Amino acid sequence: MSSRLGDATVGSILAEYQTEVITRERLALYAEASGDLNPLHLDPAFARKAGFDDVIAHGMLGMALLGRFLTEKFSAAPLSQFSARFTGIIKVDQALLCRARLAARSRNSVTLELEALDAAGKLVISGSAVLATGA
Amino acid sequence: MSAIDRRFIGYALPAFTVLLEPQRLQRFARAVGMADAQSLSVIPPTFFKAIEGEDNSSRRIIDALGVPLQQVLHVEQQFDYLLPITVGEQVRVERKVADIYEKKGGAMQFIVIESSIFRGDAQLAGRSRQIVLVRRPALASAA
Repeated sequence: MSSRLGDATVGSILAEYQTEVITRERLALYAEASGDLNPLHLDPAFARKAGFDDVIAHGMLGMALLGRFLTEKFSAAPLSQFSARFTGIIKVDQALLCRARLAARSRNSVTLELEALDAAGKLVISGSAVLATGA
Repeated sequence: MSAIDRRFIGYALPAFTVLLEPQRLQRFARAVGMADAQSLSVIPPTFFKAIEGEDNSSRRIIDALGVPLQQVLHVEQQFDYLLPITVGEQVRVERKVADIYEKKGGAMQFIVIESSIFRGDAQLAGRSRQIVLVRRPALASAA
């Protein structure tokens, strides 16, 4: 387990990370790779029919970027739970700022509070992760 | 659209198997921008979604409930990781509608879909719980 997880005080920010811009090409790649072919993420006409100005990113793509952030920053501690609430629409053509805060620590796990903010600073994903740190 | 019939609680797709081909995992890892997509040893944490979504299964559940696709939004997702799954393994997936409920006097309806993923040796390796919001047409067109 990383010393960062062991030493940090509850409430402190453990890691921050800015993703690349989520382009339409990325949405198409993700749709194909994940099997989520909902046209809301691919077809602007369908998105408008559903009440949006343009296509929006898959919430699951945002969660996948948070997951990548977790695996890159805390690779030593295996994930036992990972959850997300999609609190806002993720518009196309912007990057997300991912942030992990130490929420709680027990003898053999830590709980992280996660958030993803869009370019305007709006919270679009609020989540949590439980990492096993061993006894 | 009228309220979704709560008798769909318990509706389950027939169990299906998914082979975790390395190429498929690499494609997913590249799509989410993982640096080590080529030398992947562990399953990316949200790949469960692609596993359970095999053969358009999420769409098939939404269709079975008679909900128009343009009214649905994925609002919540949880994964539980119980046992490791290996690249190349074949897993079995069970999916069912765990709950249907409404808020704001029926203006917002929610569908809870749960999946269980079993390893080749039949042990439960992971669970997924997804909440889908069904927006009423008036709300959708006003947005």
